[in-house]
Amino acid sequence: MSVSSRTHVSPILHADHLAKEVESGERRLSILSDLSLAVFPGESVAILGQSGAGKSTLLGLLAGLDTPSGGELTLFGQSLRALDEDGRASLRAGRVGFVFQNFQLLPTLTALENVLLPLELSPSPGAEARARDWLTRVGLGERLDHLPKQLSGGEQQRVALARAFVTGAELVFADEPTGNLDPTTGERIIEALFSLNREAGTTLVLVTHDHALARRCDRCLRLEDGRLVEMARDEVMA
Amino acid sequence: MSRTSWPALLRLSARSLIRDLRAADVRALALALALAVAASTMIGFFLDRLDRGLTRQAGQLAGGDVVLEQGRPFDTEVREALEDAGLTLSEQIDMVSMVSRGERFQPASLKVVDSVYPHYGTVRVDRGNGIESLAHGPPPGEVWVAPRLALLMELEVGDRVRLGETQLEVGGVVEREPDQSAGFGNFNPRLMMHRDDLDATGLVQEGSRIEYELLAAGSAEAVARVEPLLQRLRREGVEVRDVRQDRPQLGSALARAEQYLSLAGLAAVLLAGVAVAMATRRYVERHLDTAALLRCFGATQRDLLRLFVLQLLWLALAASALGALLGLAGQALLVALLATFLPFSLPAPGLLPLWLGVFTALAVLVGFAGPTLLRLKRVSALKVLRRELDPLPPSAWLVVGVAALVFGGLLWLYSGDLWLAAGLLLGGLVMLVVLWGLGGVLLRLVLRGTARLPRGRGPADGMLTALRLGGQQLARRRQASLGQLLAFSVTFFTVAMIALVRGDLLTTWQAQLPADTPNHFAINIQPQERDAFASALAGAADARTALYPMVRGRLTAINGQPAREAVPAEARGNNALRRELNLTWRATLPEGNRVVAGEWFAAGQEEGKEGNWLDEVAAEPQASASGAAVPISVENGLAERLGLTLGDRLTFTIGSDTVTGEVTSLRSLDWESFRPNFYVIFPPDTLERFGHSYITAFHLGDDDRDLLRRLVREFPGVTLLDVEAILAQVREVLAQVTRAVELVLGFVLLAGISVLYAALTASLPVRAHETGLLRVFGASNRLLSRMQAAEFAVLGLASGLMGALLAELAAAGIYLTWFDLAPRFHWGLWLALPLAGALLIGLIGHLLSRGLRRQAPAASLGLLGEA
Repeated sequence: MSVSSRTHVSPILHADHLAKEVESGERRLSILSDLSLAVFPGESVAILGQSGAGKSTLLGLLAGLDTPSGGELTLFGQSLRALDEDGRASLRAGRVGFVFQNFQLLPTLTALENVLLPLELSPSPGAEARARDWLTRVGLGERLDHLPKQLSGGEQQRVALARAFVTGAELVFADEPTGNLDPTTGERIIEALFSLNREAGTTLVLVTHDHALARRCDRCLRLEDGRLVEMARDEVMA
Repeated sequence: MSRTSWPALLRLSARSLIRDLRAADVRALALALALAVAASTMIGFFLDRLDRGLTRQAGQLAGGDVVLEQGRPFDTEVREALEDAGLTLSEQIDMVSMVSRGERFQPASLKVVDSVYPHYGTVRVDRGNGIESLAHGPPPGEVWVAPRLALLMELEVGDRVRLGETQLEVGGVVEREPDQSAGFGNFNPRLMMHRDDLDATGLVQEGSRIEYELLAAGSAEAVARVEPLLQRLRREGVEVRDVRQDRPQLGSALARAEQYLSLAGLAAVLLAGVAVAMATRRYVERHLDTAALLRCFGATQRDLLRLFVLQLLWLALAASALGALLGLAGQALLVALLATFLPFSLPAPGLLPLWLGVFTALAVLVGFAGPTLLRLKRVSALKVLRRELDPLPPSAWLVVGVAALVFGGLLWLYSGDLWLAAGLLLGGLVMLVVLWGLGGVLLRLVLRGTARLPRGRGPADGMLTALRLGGQQLARRRQASLGQLLAFSVTFFTVAMIALVRGDLLTTWQAQLPADTPNHFAINIQPQERDAFASALAGAADARTALYPMVRGRLTAINGQPAREAVPAEARGNNALRRELNLTWRATLPEGNRVVAGEWFAAGQEEGKEGNWLDEVAAEPQASASGAAVPISVENGLAERLGLTLGDRLTFTIGSDTVTGEVTSLRSLDWESFRPNFYVIFPPDTLERFGHSYITAFHLGDDDRDLLRRLVREFPGVTLLDVEAILAQVREVLAQVTRAVELVLGFVLLAGISVLYAALTASLPVRAHETGLLRVFGASNRLLSRMQAAEFAVLGLASGLMGALLAELAAAGIYLTWFDLAPRFHWGLWLALPLAGALLIGLIGHLLSRGLRRQAPAASLGLLGEA
């Protein structure tokens, strides 16, 4: 079963009959099975699901951070099957951004340095100016030299947002971006995320159990029994 | 496949290192590496300068870089060969002749020099205008005399003296010759003259005893070019002294200090290595998240490896620069500490030790950090989503194995002895296995012991609870605690060994030159003067003062063969075959001598029973005029040089007679003892029939100067030599070497503290987590503080105990194998190490964890990324 909305444009991300099993003692546990998905450029897709449904596993697979047990996955038109871990890393470089539930900021780096980090892998002129610019856009222009521990949770997640978009990524994965934040702060982060996504014309795939967040996306899918099910708009509103 | 370019990686690694300097583990790494470089360069610079200085000094003392000596003039062919190789030649002739002025006659030791003399250094001479330093000898027509000759003959500058058939003018009094030897072999006062005047004296006759010396000066390359010629000349019986090869050995104190410095330097490097290993573990753990993030951002495994290796290389370079500066300052301090003793100025430091220091830092980094660092490469990008996906730490055996191999290589490089390095390495690995097992047992004991602590409600309850919790936390964090226990034990052990060896060195040195070490020699005491001289001394000299009979004899045959043919080819030119040796007879082994092979004439004879022994000898004489062999004892070094073994029969020509002895014992002796020492000792009743005199050494205090004047007056024929100045210089050497050794010990201590710092820093995150949790559960600051202090103190105590055990075992091994001494138990060690361990680790740990206790629990827990 494939979940897609358009057929006339090539998907930026395409999963075909994806499966993931893990060893659990003597038996194999199936987390995802026969899962298909196509995400098109500029789309925002939310994947909803209960705790333990395998949302993060799916995100890891889609981003090429993990390998599936079966099925085919294509990212930017290239099959991931033929690539080793380094190959997948190279494919991601500069084109994929991430926002994590636990922010994943490096504690010894300042806000500015954290945002600069992905740019420094393939330096280009004006990297620092770009990092400053993105931090200003998320409202942290005055907090450039602050270490993560000097920032609140919401501020840390805004740094992470700036870091996800600073490379000009075509595709941003977000894993429960508001999971560690209070509702008000979470709301602000959602606002910031979608506004940046709009400005940059990025494709967004986010995993969440927050219906308010999912509602902001073009499409919502529910992960159920290892498969993705397209959700009706009213179902999401519920 | 690698995406990121080298320039980008270089920039990124440098920038990330600068950012990383905020982290304690990076600072600990830098400190440890800087200390390793500082220790190795300090000692390397110093020993290199000392070595080159000694070679230069040896060249000056010998009068040239190569000195040839024989009893007849050198052929033109030899001179030309030396000159063709690029060496400058100077010729010198030594002989003894009578000097006279009016009615005064005095035998003098003539040194006939040419216009090239001296190759190195200057002659300090008083030509009537105070002392001048001149780079030449006396001009033709003049003689320069030693102060003693001037005194004995009442000579003044301008006087004329007769020498053979000519008269020469006294042009100066020589205060110091650059190539003066320090030996007591030549007792006649010196007279120096020019070669051009020699023929006029008519002293060179057929059969005269004259030594011809050819002094060659030049580069090491020039000397190397004439090596085949030198080999040939040696075989032909010419005495060849090549200062680079036959450089006089360092005094034993300095030689031991040199070994000690090398040992301590390596100990500091080892400790720095342990600190690097501890700090790297934390560094890697802290960078796992960075590595995973970078993987997400698209970095390949190779990029990651290159990035972190480059980052550490930058760190190593910066630490090397800092360490080299410290090392330069340290060696300057060492030189300053030893300055007044070193009789020459040292050449400037060379570059080699610097490279060696940087190489050491890199080797330490690769060996002690390498396997741990590889863990970063294996980080999965998925770790950003699932924190538990840390790559497994490298096997402890791999880490220890690689570190051991690299350190073994460094040991080999520094000691030049593969087997010693391999032995030490193997011993070290066995020691680690034992420590690992012992550490496990100790931790179990701590767990059980603290669990049984009473849980009453008395006033001591708070302390006991802290001790119980602290001890149990330590024991439950088994792997981490074992690692720390091991690192601290090795640290305490190393510092204790360096301190123990230092203590033993100092004791040996102090014992070597006690306050009553003889400071005067009396020679030429005639047999009829012996008793009177001894009784004159009796009041001032101690019981050890002995008068040794001395007979001069030449070694002419070995096992019936002419001596020069019987010895190995390279020993044919040896001085011992060309000069008369001082022989003595004696019933008991002289003090400070040790029989190393065979048996003394009467094994088991006790000192003071000389009379009995003499009675036995008298009843059954061991020597006869017919030349039957008597037992003799030969000095070990001479035996080695001439290839002599037990049972060899040596024939000595004394005057017109001969006496043959069979080597029944070989002795080692201390040439620096300031006592009369003899190459060959005969038993009593063997040499008395030959003409002999007596020699003694005795100690005179400042108040005994009257006695000295009385001796000069009453025994005009006896030559008295005052060696107080030399003795004072040797004492000063020991004092200064002691200070140098203490400086180095300080360095080792510093390296030890760097290990403590690195290890405790590495354990901070785990402790922060625990502290945060305990705070959440309601633990007070007071309880946490006590608990952590108790944990560190127990850790320090246990490490100190294990360090003491190791040091005791290693010291026993060294005593048994090297010093041939019974091992002794060091009570102080068992007290000092655990106590110092508990205090030091307790204190450093308490200070480092103070910040943790001040943090809000959320922040502490957040440090582990659990927010």
